[in-house]
Amino acid sequence: MRKIALWFTALTVIAMVALSCTKPGGAGANGKKLTIAVIPKGTTHEFWKSIHAGANKAAAELSSQGNEVDVIWKGPLREDDREQQIQVVEGFVTQGVNGIVLAPLDNRALARPVEEAKRAGVPTVIIDSGLNSDALVSFVATDNRKGGMLAADRLGQLLNGKGKVLLLRYAEGSASTTEREGGFLSEMKEKFPGIELISTDQYAGATRDTAKRASENLLNRFGDQVQGIFTPNESSTAGMLLALQDIEKAGKVFFVGFDASQTFIDAMRSNQLNGIVVQNPFNMGYLGVRTMVDHLLGKPVQKITDTGVTLVTPENLDSADIQTLLHPPLQQYLK
Amino acid sequence: MVAEVKQDRVFSNSAFIQSWLNRLGPVLGLVLVIAIFSLLMETPARFLSPNNLRVVLAQTVIVAIGAIGMTMIIISGGIDLSVGSTIALTGVITALGINAGWSPTVALAAGILVGGVVGVVNALAITRLKVVPFIATLGMLGVARGTAKWVAGEQTVNMPDNWLNELLVMFPNPPWLLVAPGVWITIILAVLAAIVLRNTVFGRRVFALGSNESAARACGIATDHLKIWIYGLAGLLFGLAGVMQMSRLRQGDPTVAAGSELDIIAAVVIGGGSLNGGVGSIVGSMIGALIMAFLRNGCQQVGWHNYIQEIIIGAIIVIAVAVDRWRSSRAAA
Repeated sequence: MRKIALWFTALTVIAMVALSCTKPGGAGANGKKLTIAVIPKGTTHEFWKSIHAGANKAAAELSSQGNEVDVIWKGPLREDDREQQIQVVEGFVTQGVNGIVLAPLDNRALARPVEEAKRAGVPTVIIDSGLNSDALVSFVATDNRKGGMLAADRLGQLLNGKGKVLLLRYAEGSASTTEREGGFLSEMKEKFPGIELISTDQYAGATRDTAKRASENLLNRFGDQVQGIFTPNESSTAGMLLALQDIEKAGKVFFVGFDASQTFIDAMRSNQLNGIVVQNPFNMGYLGVRTMVDHLLGKPVQKITDTGVTLVTPENLDSADIQTLLHPPLQQYLK
Repeated sequence: MVAEVKQDRVFSNSAFIQSWLNRLGPVLGLVLVIAIFSLLMETPARFLSPNNLRVVLAQTVIVAIGAIGMTMIIISGGIDLSVGSTIALTGVITALGINAGWSPTVALAAGILVGGVVGVVNALAITRLKVVPFIATLGMLGVARGTAKWVAGEQTVNMPDNWLNELLVMFPNPPWLLVAPGVWITIILAVLAAIVLRNTVFGRRVFALGSNESAARACGIATDHLKIWIYGLAGLLFGLAGVMQMSRLRQGDPTVAAGSELDIIAAVVIGGGSLNGGVGSIVGSMIGALIMAFLRNGCQQVGWHNYIQEIIIGAIIVIAVAVDRWRSSRAAA
């Protein structure tokens, strides 16, 4: 009986191994190959795929220059679950990678694991969202406040400085989106005093689905008076767009979102979306790994690096710069 | 009373053999998981290093403590889907308590007690309102999660440094503890729970309740009363799991542990527990929790994608139960 149980399990596991193209991790014992773990907040958003591609580009470039670099990509098992992300960090520390590039899900919850990593001799570069800790090597991220301000400028101009605007926030405790929301609100109040903010305290939650539900509820309440909308990330923008399309209000209110995806570009072409503020995740992944490797090679690194924000509108959508920004060479680097 | 004890004895004799059979499977599974990953690893020494074991054990604690409570509930023929939410709620309560200037010990007690209260409320819904456990606790899943977000003011609750933060650190202080204090707490609780379930009247009644509720009632067991105790005790454990979660995050997070009830139920089931009630063991559930933690850790270190990991864990749950089924049908024949 036991034998069969054993074979059953063994066969399954072996089948799994055979099915998956495995990429062995861990620092090579011989040679000076550097293993860098890159830990995103999740793995299914297009945003994170661009970071992954950028990280791979940095690894390819560095390797061709004679510094062998291996990037391991691993997100939390349940997206947006802090506990799971902590487990990933801890796993890499005991695995003995040379450095970690981390996009922390929370600015405090991830502080302990990063400090413990430092104590175990594994340095960390933080990307995307801030971390309340001194244990990090460098912070490589979008100037999120500036991104929120760009969105406020766009909405303010579209509305000619007066009207009713609502902000659907992303999620509690996410530092990057909180800064975008803060930048948006302060710019609105300062530059466009004629604009009334009718709702700024609702949260979209982690997924498109929760965002859509939150948007539906908000539109149900303010739908007949709202003239401008801002959402601070991909999932909240997607959810709001879906909700607007459902009640056939898309295109009838000014809507500025954040982050890029094909859906948003299509929506801009049909004027359902009047602008998106995009970051440069490809550059973020690239600079994150470069900074880590520079640090490991003993070169001085900057404490803070801005990776850039850009406002994309239906008007500038087809320019060459915007096109490379929107379509980073994912195919080339993600195989 | 004498007759009842005798009956328990007879019951436990056949169950004893059965439970040993049940226990061998999970142990084998754990050994297999560790062995396979060691073989796949470029550097097996790292996978088996004390540091990695320390990490895996600390990562198992929350699921393991939850699984102790869940084992009691599942043996009694019930289920509790509200664990994840209870963990979030009690973590938030503890963090709020510390912010309010309570001593960490008082805050700890408050977190645990709130867990117990949630459990008792579940049991009252089940016994008084006659709602089946699945539905009653499904309702509580929402209620507790919502309450957690409400009392936390819809944001994470950060708090000043305190000794609760040290419960699940990688390098314990003092170092002679070897593993995080929370791991020792879990081991002690697991041993206590195993003894209570196997050797006390209460424990045997839990099994009797899960094997056949009407028979248990006919034997004079106050089943409603018993259920309140079971869910209440389990709730206290879930509360402690919540404090552990807070300790790991160093904050009360009202959104944490969504879906962890499934991990906890899976640990019990992989460990030989039956959702039909009457079968299950603490040791098995602890091994079930360890299997899942090692799988996660191993998959990561081998460099597999998350989706492979999810598929494997899903497959293992089904295989574990299928093997268990097959074995018990052989044992019955």
